Amino acid sequence: MYAGPVQDLIDELGRLPGVGPKSAQRIAFHLLKLPKDDALRLASVITEVKERISFCRRCFNVCEGEECELCLDTRRDPTLVCVVEEPRDIVAVEKTQEFKGRYHVLQGAISPIEGIGPEQLRVKELLARMDAEGIAEVILCTNPNIEGEATAMYLARLLKPLGVKVTRIASGLPVGGDLEYADELTLGRALEGRREVEA
Amino acid sequence: MRVARLWLTDFRNYTSVEAELAAGLTVVVGRNGEGKTSLLEGIGYLATLSSFRGVPNEALVRSGAPRAVVRAEGERESRSLIVEAEIPTSGRGRVLVNHQPLRRSRDLLGALRITVFSPDDLELVKGGPAGRRRYLDDVLVSLHPKHDALRVDVERVLRQRTTLLRQSGGRLTAEIATTLDVWDAQLVEHGEALVAARLELLQRLEPELTKAYAGLAGGGQVSARYEASWPMDGGLAAALAASRANDLRRGVTLVGPHRDEVALGIDGLPARTHASQGEQRSLALALRLAAHAVVREVTGEPPVLLLDDVFSELDAGRSHALVELLPSGQAVLTTAGPVPEGAEPERVLRVESGVLS
Ligand SMILES: Nc1ncnc2c1ncn2[C@@H]1O[C@H](COP(=O)(O)OP(=O)(O)O)[C@@H](O)[C@H]1O
Ligand SMILES: [Mg+2]
Ligand SMILES: [Zn+2]
Repeated sequence: MYAGPVQDLIDELGRLPGVGPKSAQRIAFHLLKLPKDDALRLASVITEVKERISFCRRCFNVCEGEECELCLDTRRDPTLVCVVEEPRDIVAVEKTQEFKGRYHVLQGAISPIEGIGPEQLRVKELLARMDAEGIAEVILCTNPNIEGEATAMYLARLLKPLGVKVTRIASGLPVGGDLEYADELTLGRALEGRREVEA
Repeated sequence: MRVARLWLTDFRNYTSVEAELAAGLTVVVGRNGEGKTSLLEGIGYLATLSSFRGVPNEALVRSGAPRAVVRAEGERESRSLIVEAEIPTSGRGRVLVNHQPLRRSRDLLGALRITVFSPDDLELVKGGPAGRRRYLDDVLVSLHPKHDALRVDVERVLRQRTTLLRQSGGRLTAEIATTLDVWDAQLVEHGEALVAARLELLQRLEPELTKAYAGLAGGGQVSARYEASWPMDGGLAAALAASRANDLRRGVTLVGPHRDEVALGIDGLPARTHASQGEQRSLALALRLAAHAVVREVTGEPPVLLLDDVFSELDAGRSHALVELLPSGQAVLTTAGPVPEGAEPERVLRVESGVLS
């Protein structure tokens, strides 16, 4: 245990995803050694994103304002929606330049171990968009791992009865891999070769 | 690949050691507790990225050191290959091939294959079904790294499904039911694929098992029959549906590949409960020899044989038979006593307190 604010910092850092107690300590002491300006710059960008950036009310991508740039872009096909787990996956798909529709960010994947069920995800919001936006095809771009597959299957079972076309990105993605790490070429091919999901 | 040279740094009781291994048989001699098994364990780590003693990684790091490093130089398809694994006391290690870090450690699987013989192998015959399932799955991974992904996926689905069952508190709401349906479908997809692979493997193993057992014991009809935890002609989906109420009540998944058994028999009687200790030992050795033969046949390359202190447990007859049956290729054998009769080592290493000479 360290003196008040130092321990507070370690505790806060330790709450970040992928940061264990040891790493939290290392980062905390790194921050303590940092020149004051550098440390305050970090603090101020954190404040700034929290004040200015929120989630798009339509697709839950990160954005400044009410709706994100992608939803506001009138050149994009509003009848085609690509469903992803996290905003960073949008970046990955955008890089391929293969996709000209809109997105929907679930903000996670079904995973009982992490206490995430469909209610914790933006599923209801996705269903509400179907009729409201006249969506004809949904491409399920969740990660090609167990949780991503389960989520895709869950969504397919909800969406198919609504009469929309439901496809899943074709593999070509590394087994057990994360979308975020897939290189552009593989992801581009995967989008082209998307298949219908069994529900 | 064949291992020509091995380095161990802060691995078990080795601070820093370099060993040259023969293309054929290397014998490692030393008293108990000097580091014989650890040397084999180091080689084994590069094959499976885990210890064949089934211990967590931190047990492999020399106490007080931050990480262990295992490196091997060898040849594969007449190209030289250097594989290296860093094993930290906590967190994920790194794996390097020809000094380039691999993006996914799993991609190392298949570079080096091993067949391990250890005195604990008796448990394959005497112990519970988990050991026999692991035996099959380990051989599957040796045959193709894709089976490692499959095995991990099945375990993951099971953990997710079981967690959901417990979270439900035994009550099947509509919401739980739809989510459970999805996990069931995942378990069916991956579980049936794993079982199909096990069945196919068992079919390949059986003739080799019979041959090896006959060579070791001089006779006897061996059988290895897969006993699924559900009626297989109905499919896993139907079995899960039938078991759902029970699963919910007990908070466990009662059917699936994690509950299956491989029933071993000798002359029509269950080996686990009816065979003599000597017969069980022969059958355990035969399981390893059969695995070796199948992996060699399918991959076209003999795995490196790691024989840990196995001859001390065998009577003269079985010991002689095993030496006779050992396939050609690279082998590393440890012993606290004399070199087994009939074995012709190309190299002998002596180990004392983690130092080789
Ligand atoms: N992580 C470790 N750090 C230091 N010493 C260890 C570690 N793990 C095991 N040892 C010691 O290494 C020695 C060699 O073990 P082992 O290779 O099993 O011996 P052998 O097979 O020759 O009987 C044992 O004395 C054991 O206590
Ligand atoms: Mg030993
Ligand atoms: Zn948006």
